[in-house]
Amino acid sequence: MSEIDSLKAQLETLQSEALASFAQAASLSELQQLRVNYLGKKGALTEVLKGVGKLPAEERPVIGQHVNKTKSALAEALDASEADLAVKAKAERIEAERIDVTLPGRSKPAGALHPVQQGLDEMTAIFSQMGFAVAEGPEIENEFHNFDALNIPPEHPARAMHDTFFINEKFAEGEHSEPMLLRTHTSPVQIRAMKRFLEEGHEPPLAVVAPGRVYRCDYDVTHSPMFHQVEVFKVDRDVSMAHLKGVLKHFLSTYFEKEVDIRLRPHYFPFTEPSAEVDIGCVFCAGKGCRICKGSGWIEVLGSGMIHPNVLRSVGIDADEFSGFAFGLGVERLVMLKEGIPDLRLFFENDVRFLRRMGS
Amino acid sequence: MKIPFSWLKEQVALSKTPAEIADDLVRLGHEVEGVEMPRAAVQGVRVGQIRSKQPHPDADKLSLLKVDIGEAEMLDIVCGASNMGEGDKIPVATLGTTLPNGLTIKKGKIRGETSCGMCCSETELGLADESAGLLILPADAPVGAEVGEYLGLEEAVFDLSITPNRGDCMNVRGIARDLAADAGLPLADVISHVAEVETAIPAAKVTVTAEGDCPVYMARRIEGVTLADSPAWMQTGLILAGMRPVNGIVDVLNYVMLDFGQPMHAFDADRLNGDICIRSAQAGEDFAALDGRELKLHAGDLVVCDETDVIALAGIMGSEPSGVTDTTTNIVLESAFFRPARVSETRRTYAMVSEASMRFERGVDPLMVETAMQKASALITELFGGAVGEITVCGDAAAINAGRSVSCSVARISSRLGIDIPESVDAVLERMAFGIRRDGDRLDVDVPPFRHDVTIPEDISEEYARVIGFDAIPEILPALATTAPAKVDRSIHDAVADGFLQVVTYAFISDGEQRLFVEDDGLDIALQNPISDAMSVMRRSAWPGLLNVAKHNLNRQQSGVALAEQGRLYVKTENGHDENNVLAWLMSGDVGQDEWHAQTRKADFFDLKAAVESWLAKRGLIGRFIADDSIAGLQAGQSAKIMVGRAEAGRIGKVDGDIADSFDIDAPVFVADINLDLLPEGKKAKFQPLPEFPGVERDLVFLFDKNSSSDAILNAVRSAGGKLLTETRIFDRYAGKGVPEGKVSLGIRFALQDPNRTLTQQDSDAAMQSIIAAMDKKFGAVLRG
Repeated sequence: MSEIDSLKAQLETLQSEALASFAQAASLSELQQLRVNYLGKKGALTEVLKGVGKLPAEERPVIGQHVNKTKSALAEALDASEADLAVKAKAERIEAERIDVTLPGRSKPAGALHPVQQGLDEMTAIFSQMGFAVAEGPEIENEFHNFDALNIPPEHPARAMHDTFFINEKFAEGEHSEPMLLRTHTSPVQIRAMKRFLEEGHEPPLAVVAPGRVYRCDYDVTHSPMFHQVEVFKVDRDVSMAHLKGVLKHFLSTYFEKEVDIRLRPHYFPFTEPSAEVDIGCVFCAGKGCRICKGSGWIEVLGSGMIHPNVLRSVGIDADEFSGFAFGLGVERLVMLKEGIPDLRLFFENDVRFLRRMGS
Repeated sequence: MKIPFSWLKEQVALSKTPAEIADDLVRLGHEVEGVEMPRAAVQGVRVGQIRSKQPHPDADKLSLLKVDIGEAEMLDIVCGASNMGEGDKIPVATLGTTLPNGLTIKKGKIRGETSCGMCCSETELGLADESAGLLILPADAPVGAEVGEYLGLEEAVFDLSITPNRGDCMNVRGIARDLAADAGLPLADVISHVAEVETAIPAAKVTVTAEGDCPVYMARRIEGVTLADSPAWMQTGLILAGMRPVNGIVDVLNYVMLDFGQPMHAFDADRLNGDICIRSAQAGEDFAALDGRELKLHAGDLVVCDETDVIALAGIMGSEPSGVTDTTTNIVLESAFFRPARVSETRRTYAMVSEASMRFERGVDPLMVETAMQKASALITELFGGAVGEITVCGDAAAINAGRSVSCSVARISSRLGIDIPESVDAVLERMAFGIRRDGDRLDVDVPPFRHDVTIPEDISEEYARVIGFDAIPEILPALATTAPAKVDRSIHDAVADGFLQVVTYAFISDGEQRLFVEDDGLDIALQNPISDAMSVMRRSAWPGLLNVAKHNLNRQQSGVALAEQGRLYVKTENGHDENNVLAWLMSGDVGQDEWHAQTRKADFFDLKAAVESWLAKRGLIGRFIADDSIAGLQAGQSAKIMVGRAEAGRIGKVDGDIADSFDIDAPVFVADINLDLLPEGKKAKFQPLPEFPGVERDLVFLFDKNSSSDAILNAVRSAGGKLLTETRIFDRYAGKGVPEGKVSLGIRFALQDPNRTLTQQDSDAAMQSIIAAMDKKFGAVLRG
């Protein structure tokens, strides 16, 4: 056998051995080692090339081509094997990283706003959007703001309807040294807001929403000694009962998230004239009559009226020039109706199961 | 008050059904709390007569009755009442009858004796809320008749809630007047029987010295009365109207009051000592009221007196010794007008309520004072015999509320109601008994004396509006004013966002709870009339309320709570009082719950501190937590005041173990609060360019004394680190094996950054050396190898 044929044979043997070993390689590192073994500086192919020097000059290019062919065949085979292995390795890694996606996520403690707060926020926002400014007042009031300025003189029978909590001792409060009490309604804010407004040199229109806590000395299944009211009033030229009805209708429909019917019934409050109790068409039975509305199709929700001229006068507003409407609504009552909460006491028991449920 | 339909129809010829009338009443402003149909409720209850009454052999309080209900056999009935005797006629619920209270009558044995029916009281028949014993029927009641039919209960009774301004509607005629005006029907004339005066009977002698409080007083003697039960028709009326028959005279007076609204009183003339005087009481005068109470009167109370005693608290209640009894033969009738405010004040002083006072304090019809006197005297003499003397009249009833007129503009009524006012307004108001004089837009409205409530033009517009109905007023949304949007208080919302549940607790707590966290400095605000001791003083800390909520929930299978409340705290000040807006937190027990990836742990100080810090950060504020062992109710060593800016704005700490025990809470409890009124305005974050050059992070670990303050260490680090130091924090804290006793190892991480260039090794080494030197100098801290 000539020298050149022997070299050719060597190259063929080397190629078939190499391809076989590549196919068996189980890992990328093993393949890397094989690459060095065959194609490296001191690899098998290089060894074969050393024999080329012994060949006559005209035969060298021939064997050179053979060597190059073998080299690229090996390199291609190595690349292909590497790619196969990479795919396999990724598939294994993916399998190893498989998780149960149905396990619950890592929880974070979830807070919740009290349902009364949610109600207050919603109601205040509706009135804010209608242009009513938010005002507050003290909860410990004097008789002047809670009663007298609201046209409820001391001997007035309406005072008895209020079940007032009085403070143990009189303490001087500004110009008024008189019995102090826990405000029985948010209406005193009417007086305070109007006075402040005038003192600041403004002139009506004035539109105010005043949310807050109020107190009545009454404690049973349907009464809480502390509860929340939202007082709403507007004073301007030519404010009419039609405006009162318009604002009520808009507010109640927005709050209950559906068009509600309203009905005003003549009533009596000392601080409004005319006065009206406001009913809404029962939100549970759509006015057909059910247990909640006692079959009447109507549910009483709040008291309202045109601000009594004596109230306007008590703060120095000309009742001939200006008029106003006012109403006060019970927050707990509306929240109970909207959310279907059956028992007032749930609000003040603060059971976290109730709070979480209502807050979600 | 209760108004029987049949009685209304005596005053006005109504042709509508009770349901329609109820709707009209609501529209007119008289709230209808219910329409009762009494007849339907007592089907099967019959008139029975007691033929014999024996004591029950085995029970002192029971009787064995044989009752005749007009059938062949007498009924054996065991009865627990005691006010009946042989011969009395009583309502008997026969077997199978279901009473209004839901009880169905069955044959049964009571203590071994057979009972075949039940004798009934007013309460059991659904006619009254309270009753004392059986309803004894008039002697002429036909035995065996249906009681409902006999009593004329076959009808509707309107249960009305009369508003305090409409004293004129606290009687049948007043309601009838509203309905008549509404329907355009005539109101029946007052049929006044007038008893003929017997001149031999002396006129009652009366003087009034308190004319201001008693502008009109009428009195009349009636002699020779033979007292008997009032007739069945009257008793029925009274029962349907919710009043219990008492005796003939009282029944007549109550009947007249329900009919006309004029309360009257009868004295036993033979139990009076001399002439009658109406005057102001002197302080300390004794009064033995009809309800059994012995009062010491106040100066200024209006009283009716004879020459020795106070015989009535005017308009409220008569005295026991001067009252009519079963043996009374001569009486003095009183009919008067007392000043409403006077009656109201006195009634409230003694916490007394009577049918009379309710009417007087709302104002009665002055022109009814004499009419009622005439009608009552006529009824009494017709029913019980006797003869009447002259009526003694003090004062002029016609002068009360006389000539009142309200002048108003039709245009103004229109503007206030938001509707056009047609010419027919005149007719509507005239039907309501107002007199109308019109001059173009001007309306002069003469107000009848019984309408004490109508004084201003707005009252006139209400009168008109309630007759046409508030439904006739359109719904108009006024033009929206634009106001600066209010700054919304997000305090509680931000606490909730950090995982806290908002609670709402009462503003009043017990005195004991107040003392847990607030020293007694005399600045508490206590209630005069608390619901209970547990709700008697205005809170000065929100923590007791939160502890009560924690207790409630931890006792109900909750393993941990995180609560927050926003509300006010109340304290006396030199000039009055303060109401401070406060946000308070409480954490106790497990943080979260056991989950597949992590176990729960108990909340500690730093859980709550994180919440407070996070809350402050949201408003651009940083709190400094300064250890303070003197905070009442918190455990020394785990409590701090929270400084924000210069304000001591809050406190935080672990609730004293004994206090937690007293709320039955085993786990450590942590609380905090922030006085929102003291918080300074926070800084709003401003834009800063992001760093262009890389920064470096370095860690250093030192040994410090165990009681060193982290806050002081970090402050020292910041001032030593120089301008390049952008961030520093404690990343590790360790005490124990490998750390000397009394020392603690703190790992501090620094971030260094120069906005203008890449940092060099020298830069960071210089900063490190400066910090190491400062730690050594200030704290004697050494680097841990």
